[in-house]
Amino acid sequence: MTEASLIGLFVATVSFGALLYLAALGELLAEKAGVLNLGVEGMMAVGAVTAFIAGVELKNPWAALLVAMLSSAILASVHGFFTVGLGAEQVVSGLSLTILGLGLAAYLGKDYVGLPPGAELVPVEWAGLSDLPWVGPIFFSQAPIVYLALLMGITVSFVLSSTRLGLALRAAGESASSTDSAGHSVLGLRLSAVAAGGALAGASGAYLTLSITPQWAEGLTAGRGWIAVALVIFGAWRPGRVGIGALIFGGTLALKTRLQTFGVDFSPIILSMLPYVLTLVILLVISIQARKRPSPAPFGLGLAYRREER
Amino acid sequence: MRRPRLSLREQPLPGGQPLAFGTGLLIALIVGTVLLLAAGHEPLKIYSRMFEASLGDPDAWAVTINRAVPLGLAGLAVAVAGSMGLWNIGAEGQIMAGAIAAAWVARIGGDWPGIVLITMMLIAALGGGGILALGPALARAKLGVNEIITTLMLNEVAIRLVQWLIHGPWKDPDSYNFPLAPMLPDQARLPTLFSRAHFGLLIAAAVIVIASVAVRYTAWGYELRIAGSSEATARYSGISLSKKVLTVLVLSGAIAGLAGGVELTGTADRLTETISNGFGFAGIIVAALALMRPSGVAVVALLFGAVQIGGQSIQTLGVSSSVSTILQAFVLFGAIGAGVFSRYRVVLDTDARSTNRELSDD
Repeated sequence: MTEASLIGLFVATVSFGALLYLAALGELLAEKAGVLNLGVEGMMAVGAVTAFIAGVELKNPWAALLVAMLSSAILASVHGFFTVGLGAEQVVSGLSLTILGLGLAAYLGKDYVGLPPGAELVPVEWAGLSDLPWVGPIFFSQAPIVYLALLMGITVSFVLSSTRLGLALRAAGESASSTDSAGHSVLGLRLSAVAAGGALAGASGAYLTLSITPQWAEGLTAGRGWIAVALVIFGAWRPGRVGIGALIFGGTLALKTRLQTFGVDFSPIILSMLPYVLTLVILLVISIQARKRPSPAPFGLGLAYRREER
Repeated sequence: MRRPRLSLREQPLPGGQPLAFGTGLLIALIVGTVLLLAAGHEPLKIYSRMFEASLGDPDAWAVTINRAVPLGLAGLAVAVAGSMGLWNIGAEGQIMAGAIAAAWVARIGGDWPGIVLITMMLIAALGGGGILALGPALARAKLGVNEIITTLMLNEVAIRLVQWLIHGPWKDPDSYNFPLAPMLPDQARLPTLFSRAHFGLLIAAAVIVIASVAVRYTAWGYELRIAGSSEATARYSGISLSKKVLTVLVLSGAIAGLAGGVELTGTADRLTETISNGFGFAGIIVAALALMRPSGVAVVALLFGAVQIGGQSIQTLGVSSSVSTILQAFVLFGAIGAGVFSRYRVVLDTDARSTNRELSDD
């Protein structure tokens, strides 16, 4: 195991971590407002393909990122319409959204399979910092989306904990009827949280096709949307902890392809079970603790709100 | 200003659910027409091919039925849990666990007579699915851990378990280093009934009938439905909730596992990582469209199977498989929406301010 390969592992850990973090932050926003969205995998796929297409057509990576975020936000709003607007079952609608998103992504991208990328988000160079040993390549030579993910994490954390909007949003997820009584629009809050969550999942997908693997192929998201869903629980619905979880889970993704180069005789397939198994363990720990203190899950998560039924 | 609002109907619309499915199909048909025209195809030609390939003749029916069998069993698994208000999102993984268990029996019983081998494989499949559901069942019953997430996570674990087996310990030495499990012994194949329709149809039908009767007409099923509609009522009437949760979730997993076993002996010739083929997720949809009623699952599974088979068939006409995926999603969303409207009606709210304004206008 050389120093270069170890640095490579950490670089990939941070990069995969950011990928997962963006999608998980989106899911966290929606869940905090009381809406479980199991469509992350589909939203990521749509974000990935629309970013790639926009990149080829517009030749501008930032425009491509914007297109991806917008497309996934619109897709997420389908879930919002059915679950928040009509009060349909969130689990069924979310899974349907995954099917829809994967289908749409394949349909839209069929003429773009194997094409060279039209635009890429290249790593940012930070004067002086990027040349530092270890921390330079690991933290200061990443694609701009990585810093965006960090910025989004701080923003989401701040908005949720310290603004009136964040308070209203959390209230909509804890007790919709009292939020309604307080004069806030539960409908508006939940719809915006779901759409914003979609935009973040779209950014995560865009990171795949604009930087990590700059090409389009069906199945590119490879189940990472489900890891994002797991991360929210792993991080106990807290943006900071979700970020730490994203680095851990990102590490397992990064390690998976490198086990052999490190000469470790361990199945990469077994390793890739780790995020899910860890999440299960954390869930158990949370629920054992919940006997002494309240569960960190939003109280109204998964419950539709209709004024006349409160 | 008048705002639209959903108001609960006193009675759900009669025939609301078939109506919902029909609406879903109609919406999918419209969207599909647009997609097909956009891609330069003739929609009518495509739709008639879809119908012919799925329901046009006995051979087509056989293919559709073979698809409806795992869909129906997976749907039943979800519906049994759903009758008690539980969500088994893990049917996908339990199908794989069932298939793993059945494939394991086939490995050790390669020289057993067919009927013994198949029976043992199916029993093992029940066990495999049940064991994968046991963890979430215990966690829910004893600690109150939400079963949606635990079962969802185990899907991802189960698929990797299959991958690991066929890349490693169970890799066929004669497969020229391809990650393939060995072929099943010949006598491990379910017999066919007509055309290519296999014996799984009878197994699925029997299990669906038994489960429907059990949920609808037995004291056990009655308690189950009470627990599903009101936890408090169930507790006051002395029903042991945690025992019920445990048995129902394990049973649900076992039924999904059986789907994996039947799929393995019925249509697959070896254990593959695509053995569950999305049936577990589709099963959730099937169960939801059947309003979590075990008795409704068979019809929905057959229709949904026809949609899937029809969708696959048009690939030979050069239509991308993604179109059929999108159509399925629109059937689902159309049905979800129509399902809501069969229970709710839209009323236009007149809010207080605008009422005042209208009054003062007079």
